[in-house]
Amino acid sequence: MTDDLFAAVPTLWLFIFFFAPLALTAAISFGHSSFGDVAFGMTLDNYRTALSGFYRVAFLRTLQFAATGCLLCIVVAFPAAFFIARRSGRFEKAAIVLVLVPYFTSFLIRVMSWQILLSRGGPGEALLHGLHLYSGPLDLMDTKTAVFIGMVYSYLPIAIVPLYVVLRRIPVALEDAGRDLGAGRFSTFFLIILPLARPGIATAILLTGVPMLGEMVIPTLLGGDRGVLMGQAISSQYIDAQNYALGSAMAMLVLVSVGVLVALLARFTRGFAETAP
Amino acid sequence: MNNTMKMSGDMRLARRSLLKLSAALPLAGALPLLIGESRAASAATQLNIYSWPDYFAQDDLTAFGKASGVTANIATYNANEIMFAKLNSPAGAGFDIVIPSSGWIRQLAQRKLIREIDHDRLDLGALDKSLLNRDFDPGNKYSIPKDWGVLGVVYDPAAVGGEIRTWQDFLDAGAKPGVSGRVRLTKSASETLGPALWIAGKDWNKASEDEIRAAGDQMRDFAKHVKTFAAFDPAALASGAIVLAQANQAAARNALIQNPKLKWVVPGPRSEIWIDNYAIASGATNLDAAYDFLKFFLKPDVQVRETEYLGYPAAIAGLRKKLGPDVKQASMIFGGDHVDFDALTSFIVDPKTIGLYQEMQTRVMAAAGG
Repeated sequence: MTDDLFAAVPTLWLFIFFFAPLALTAAISFGHSSFGDVAFGMTLDNYRTALSGFYRVAFLRTLQFAATGCLLCIVVAFPAAFFIARRSGRFEKAAIVLVLVPYFTSFLIRVMSWQILLSRGGPGEALLHGLHLYSGPLDLMDTKTAVFIGMVYSYLPIAIVPLYVVLRRIPVALEDAGRDLGAGRFSTFFLIILPLARPGIATAILLTGVPMLGEMVIPTLLGGDRGVLMGQAISSQYIDAQNYALGSAMAMLVLVSVGVLVALLARFTRGFAETAP
Repeated sequence: MNNTMKMSGDMRLARRSLLKLSAALPLAGALPLLIGESRAASAATQLNIYSWPDYFAQDDLTAFGKASGVTANIATYNANEIMFAKLNSPAGAGFDIVIPSSGWIRQLAQRKLIREIDHDRLDLGALDKSLLNRDFDPGNKYSIPKDWGVLGVVYDPAAVGGEIRTWQDFLDAGAKPGVSGRVRLTKSASETLGPALWIAGKDWNKASEDEIRAAGDQMRDFAKHVKTFAAFDPAALASGAIVLAQANQAAARNALIQNPKLKWVVPGPRSEIWIDNYAIASGATNLDAAYDFLKFFLKPDVQVRETEYLGYPAAIAGLRKKLGPDVKQASMIFGGDHVDFDALTSFIVDPKTIGLYQEMQTRVMAAAGG
């Protein structure tokens, strides 16, 4: 009885603050919008607008953007997670704590620090000049590169942790067995470790790719607010154009693509209910 | 069957009474303290203000608190659209004073989100007459000017290689090598499309759909030269990351103080003047405190202090002569010495066209790529 009661509290919370607003958004997405008001109805016009012309391009551009960002994040996170999980010995706990420490700071402050680091005449430029890797002014601010740097930086801990957890559970005995059977270092990695790390990679894709689909803050702060992505487009519909119906339709589309992504990833990692014997 | 869901009305009434109840609770808790104070102290000691961030000098707020016993609680927004969306929803109840820009007064008044100002309770005689009785609020029925700004261009004359006098000069300069890719446009739809409309000799409050689209297309072609639409950053102009920027005069003044080699101009044939206004929310509960606040902040010496703090010129008449001698780049507060105020126009939000303006702005920002 008390178990049900305890479960009821978060369920109620989820219902009130998540499902109910979500249902309202879905309902509005089929409605008619006038400036500042929305009338409930049953029309697919908003979806037609959201999937055509300019907005479709923005949607596809966002998918591509999130995919690239996600890939970059995992490419950087995997070696880090591998090293921490399997090669760091007694520094393992300290290493994982160091990875998580930046999360004690506000997200906004961390992103704005990159504004300072990447600005002209800033510390980034000084460092590159000092190492003789670059000459002339550093014009990285308000570029796509700066946005990806900010994104990979912000989502890196979220990508490292699931990879770390999964990599840690792969028994060392498997590596030894592989070596006994004649596998070199590369074969061991690509044929034994990487396939077993699939649930971790899937989780990392989910945890980084999904927020990236709705990312709005980093392109604004580091990208000069150029190149409209779904997060900016939806926000613009709600706030600037006061067109709640179209904004809701676009939000629903993002939700559907996330759902598709989750389904694909679940398929990809079928049969991984347990990873460690 | 369509049900029109107004984001106000019944829901707002219930919300307002709930807010009143929850406001009463801390007062009930503070009762023992209140009993110790003077009986003359009014029960309404809070004034809820919805304003831009950092838009009042703290010294003046404290002085007001001491003089009247009223504490000002300031909630902030950083875009008029956010302010409008909130006031237009149940979440907008509970504010006493809001600070809308000129463009939104008509929409707020039409939806009864702000109430008429009782001119018997205020003396506007000290204010600059040219800022009163303007087209966005004839007779100042709903608003009292707080401060104002003009849209202009700040640029590095060495990089641009010449002077800028008109908006066409601005567009031409932005396309030059060495300037292209180092341009800042504002994020506001009206301020992005305005220049294109003015070049074509159109009025942005009366432009047709086709004219707005044509302006949008022209700015979309220009967008490839734009580096950023983000908030104006004087440091970027000082370091040379940006060499050509649309900005208001107070922001440009900050850039000129940091880099005196920069130049400022309000380009012809027309440009924008916007006026931020005090308005009283229709849900205001502390009207006496609100009028006390307005009376205090309309005092001439307070307006001078606010101007020196904010860098935006307050609405009082003869302000130029009243500023202290140590104010840097003082004429920049007023947009410089060569502003033709007859050529300035205020944007008024029209629900029939604002959606199109925003759509064009989104396309311009997307065309800037990145």
